[in-house]
Amino acid sequence: MPAVLTVDPRSGVPIYLQIIEQVKRSVALGVLQAGEQLPTVKQLSIDLTVNPNTVARAYRELEREQVIETTPGRGSFVRPDGVAESPRVAADIGRAALTAALREAKAVGLGRDETRALFEAVLERWFPTEST
Amino acid sequence: MSTITISNLHKRYGSVAAVDGVTLEIPTSSVFGILGPNGAGKTTIFKCMLNLAQPNAGAIRYEGRPLSAPLFERIAYVPERSVLYDWMTIAEHLEMNRRAYATFDSGRAGELLEQFNVDRRKRARALSKGMRTAAMVAFAFARNAEVLILDEPTGGLDPVNQRHVLSLMINEAARGNSVIFSSHQIGQVERAAERIAIVDRGRLVLEGLVDDLKADRKIVEGIFPDTRFRLDGIADDARVARTDRTERIVRLLVTAGADEIAQRLSGTGATAVRVLDLNLEDIFLYAVSPATATTDVIAEERVL
Repeated sequence: MPAVLTVDPRSGVPIYLQIIEQVKRSVALGVLQAGEQLPTVKQLSIDLTVNPNTVARAYRELEREQVIETTPGRGSFVRPDGVAESPRVAADIGRAALTAALREAKAVGLGRDETRALFEAVLERWFPTEST
Repeated sequence: MSTITISNLHKRYGSVAAVDGVTLEIPTSSVFGILGPNGAGKTTIFKCMLNLAQPNAGAIRYEGRPLSAPLFERIAYVPERSVLYDWMTIAEHLEMNRRAYATFDSGRAGELLEQFNVDRRKRARALSKGMRTAAMVAFAFARNAEVLILDEPTGGLDPVNQRHVLSLMINEAARGNSVIFSSHQIGQVERAAERIAIVDRGRLVLEGLVDDLKADRKIVEGIFPDTRFRLDGIADDARVARTDRTERIVRLLVTAGADEIAQRLSGTGATAVRVLDLNLEDIFLYAVSPATATTDVIAEERVL
């Protein structure tokens, strides 16, 4: 697997959630492909210098969410349907980022209409409507 | 299965209660971090675990049994203060360890000394504090012990060697062994430890999985239009561990249900409500008396 995982232990976000988020993102972006093998729990814990049980917890959650599958003795792999799920994962990532942005807009005291106007302006910049 | 259970441990030195009723379970295959201000009782807990200090009350059990000579063989200890003999070379210390412990791996010790750049021809007194720590760590990790008790195992080490010690600890946990360590460098504990205990003035003030503590404990902050605001009983909620008010700002330390409490705070008229994540340093500073904790941590973090 490409060395795409990094964690920031000093962040307030639990390390196992950081690992889950990054594996999902890598799958959604195609950095990790169907059937691709993930490092073993031990290897990843040594690579990231984080506790092996923390990595194991992230892998268990990724299995439960059917992003990866683990075969005893062989290792952990990205599920084919884990990749098929990637549009949903991409939507989840987008929703979380938008939620954070809108919460911030509300926190600084913007109203619904002002926020909508800002959203439309930013949307236009990144997703321009076809002029033809 | 939990390897080590510490139940209701008390240890007094004269009129000082160094450890005052600590109960802990330390699991196998894990790195367990003990945090606390200077004089909190961390070293005394370690000494009691090793029978180097006799508890006044309470018990320590390894897999349900009290510490015995055969068990002692399976425990490696790195004390905070150097226990190297000034007049002996590191090579002589290595030989002494080889004779003392049946499971000591001299080859591994040599490798580790090399990785830490410890010159084994030198006498201990000629080594810096960091190099002495490194030598003791190398000997401990060459013991093939099942339990490693490490009191400030990165004291005086440079960042590269500090990271190397963390990797060794993680490697031991991955092999199924138990590592218990203390450090003032919270970033290291945050990275390597799965579970932590915070002790302050001899008492356990917080214990849990680092990731769960971060997931549950949040700051809910609200800013009000003026200084005359009411919290409508939010501060009395069992999940609100602490309330700090300054002028128009209120900050609540919550131990669960941050989003729900944030909603309630919005309902009281707060204009800007935010939920803030806490890292382990924040959690630590909230857990111990701020006056001691702040000076302690800032002074130690500067070492990095």
